[in-house]
Amino acid sequence: MLWNIIKKQGLIFFRNPQELLLLIALPMVLITILGTALSGFMEAGSSPITVKIALIENESEPEQVDRFLHEIEKELPPNVLVGIEENINQSMPITALKEVFTDESMKDFVELDYVNPSDRDKVLKDNTYTSIIEVPKNFTYELLKYIVLGESEQPSLKINLNEGSHVGAGIVNNILTQFQDQLSLGVFLDKNGIDPSVIAVSNETVVGKMTTIDEKGSISSQAYYSIGMVVMNVLYIAGSIGSHAFREKRSNVFDRIIISDVSGWVYFIGVLLSGTIFAFMQTIIVFTFSWLVFGIVWPDLIAFFATTLAFSFSVGGLAVLLSAISYRINSVSITSFFSSVVVTLLSVLGGSFFPIGDFLPFFQAIGNITPNGASMSAYISILRGDSLLDIGDHLIFLLLFAFSLVIVAALCFPKRRISK
Amino acid sequence: MIELVDLTKKFKDAYAVKNLNMFIEKGEIVGLLGPNGAGKSTAISMLSSLLDPTGGDVRYDNKSIIKSPSAFRKVVGMVPQEIALYEDLTAEENLRFFGRIYQLRGKELNRKIDEVLEQIGLTDRRKEVVKKYSGGMKRRLNIGVALLHDPEVIIMDEPTVGIDPQSRNYILETVKRFNEERKMTVLYTSHYMEEVEFLCDRIYIMDKGNLIASGTKEEIKRILSSENTISIKAERFSTDFIESIKNHPSVNRITVGEKEILIIVPRAVNMFSEVIRIAEQFHIELSSVDNKAPTLEDVFLHLTGRALRD
Repeated sequence: MLWNIIKKQGLIFFRNPQELLLLIALPMVLITILGTALSGFMEAGSSPITVKIALIENESEPEQVDRFLHEIEKELPPNVLVGIEENINQSMPITALKEVFTDESMKDFVELDYVNPSDRDKVLKDNTYTSIIEVPKNFTYELLKYIVLGESEQPSLKINLNEGSHVGAGIVNNILTQFQDQLSLGVFLDKNGIDPSVIAVSNETVVGKMTTIDEKGSISSQAYYSIGMVVMNVLYIAGSIGSHAFREKRSNVFDRIIISDVSGWVYFIGVLLSGTIFAFMQTIIVFTFSWLVFGIVWPDLIAFFATTLAFSFSVGGLAVLLSAISYRINSVSITSFFSSVVVTLLSVLGGSFFPIGDFLPFFQAIGNITPNGASMSAYISILRGDSLLDIGDHLIFLLLFAFSLVIVAALCFPKRRISK
Repeated sequence: MIELVDLTKKFKDAYAVKNLNMFIEKGEIVGLLGPNGAGKSTAISMLSSLLDPTGGDVRYDNKSIIKSPSAFRKVVGMVPQEIALYEDLTAEENLRFFGRIYQLRGKELNRKIDEVLEQIGLTDRRKEVVKKYSGGMKRRLNIGVALLHDPEVIIMDEPTVGIDPQSRNYILETVKRFNEERKMTVLYTSHYMEEVEFLCDRIYIMDKGNLIASGTKEEIKRILSSENTISIKAERFSTDFIESIKNHPSVNRITVGEKEILIIVPRAVNMFSEVIRIAEQFHIELSSVDNKAPTLEDVFLHLTGRALRD
């Protein structure tokens, strides 16, 4: 009997392509749009700030080094010359600066363009650059003379910072200051005969490293929005089944079922199971899409299926509650209100559109007491490597939530007409 | 077989059905007549165990349906006034769904589906979704669903509302055939007098929640045996003429149409000469004045002062 009710519900979904499209295709489209559009912002380890730097070299650095070495080779003993040559080749300043900006830890937010000196004026007018670093002629040559021979004055780089990009310009300034400090420290060590490796400052220290605050693994924007859109759109299943159930009452199909001596409670359980099963199917279909298209793989399948089942059960509970209330008040308005207002509200609180809880812990707490929010937290935890035990709180909440809804629905369900 | 004993349903302060007493014998077609809002559907809901009465009882084979509906539910088929079908499913899928609900399975279910589709003339359209059907086809399938489990009793609540005459005729013939071939007991409600006259052995007439008459067609028509119905026809009637006829001491009831006036008068009174006299007085050119044999509609008019479809 229950299978008959569930099968009938499946056929009704299948015969309504528009509804099916909204339930299945819409979340897929939303995942693609949101996951792609907001990937720069959402990707863990990446930054919403992009620093674009133009580097103008007015003279080749290796040529300057060669010129310097050529000049000093007659004045210094060969063994000293070899030592200087080795040191210089290991720490050419502009080469070192380029390495800082192209370091692995910087590549996500620093874009370094090598600009021909002839394009200098053009670049200066280009507002997209955060900073323009100009290396004057003889910079490396003068610097080597200053370091090795103690002659000449320490040369300077010309830095143009874009005032419109305060944060980015600040970052570049900070990097250059630290670079300068490191360079000066190197000069000091060299002049005083101290081995630089003893207190070498690593690149990481110089530039700092972008790390995710959460020590656990991070998730991609596609993964985040796959979860967000699934937990949001699956809620619509409850609204759809609720409105189908009310249509059965209004057209007297429900009476027909009751007159055939099927208990109203069988019908009630049929609605609950339909909601649970179709929510489960919808979840699996959309997550399969995200797996095939975005390669989102669940590291712990048992935890994944446990969460999906618990969430689906809570959606089944919502479906049967909406059906019971609409039967009670004899109106479909409750399901319309749920689908148009409540789902949106729950989705915002649950973090489907934006990780609101990351910024406002209060909303995180509220979100976790919504079925979609709790499911979302559980799914994200699983993707970050948590086990079934770690997400236990969310699963228990989902099950308690579902049971509570079923009990309220049973109390609301009109007993007079279904009593035997 | 089925008895309604002082059946009463009260919604807040208003009685939808008040002290209704009826009986239906096995194999009978019984008509329940009444205008919209007479209480027919409420009575049927209580009879079919869908609605608890405020008072009274419904008995099937001397057992209360109200207290224990299961036995009755197994032998009753219900044809509601609404199209109680899944419009997104095909005729066959609908029959399969309801057949399974009636515990039919496998070959037996397939056989019954084929049989019912044949009976309601939808075999060729069995694979089409119901929403593509005409109103008449939906009505036929609505009846077909109620026949799946071979019910002994079938309750039909205005099963021909809103359909074309051809489909209506088909349904009436089908009901008649089931009654004759299967000895199926039928309770048929309608506000179409001609349907009830065609189908029913006995008739109950309800108005405003009360039973106002009952009996065979002939018995009910005899209610008018002491009265005559006179039809007065003309191209047009003046207000003075109508008022004069209405106020005539011998006229018990009057129904005014555009070109016809019906009056109910005592059989002993010769109203013909009176009508002609009044017409001459108000310069009305009469086209005919006839004495009509009483119909159930006349009886209803006589009893309630309203036409059935008012």
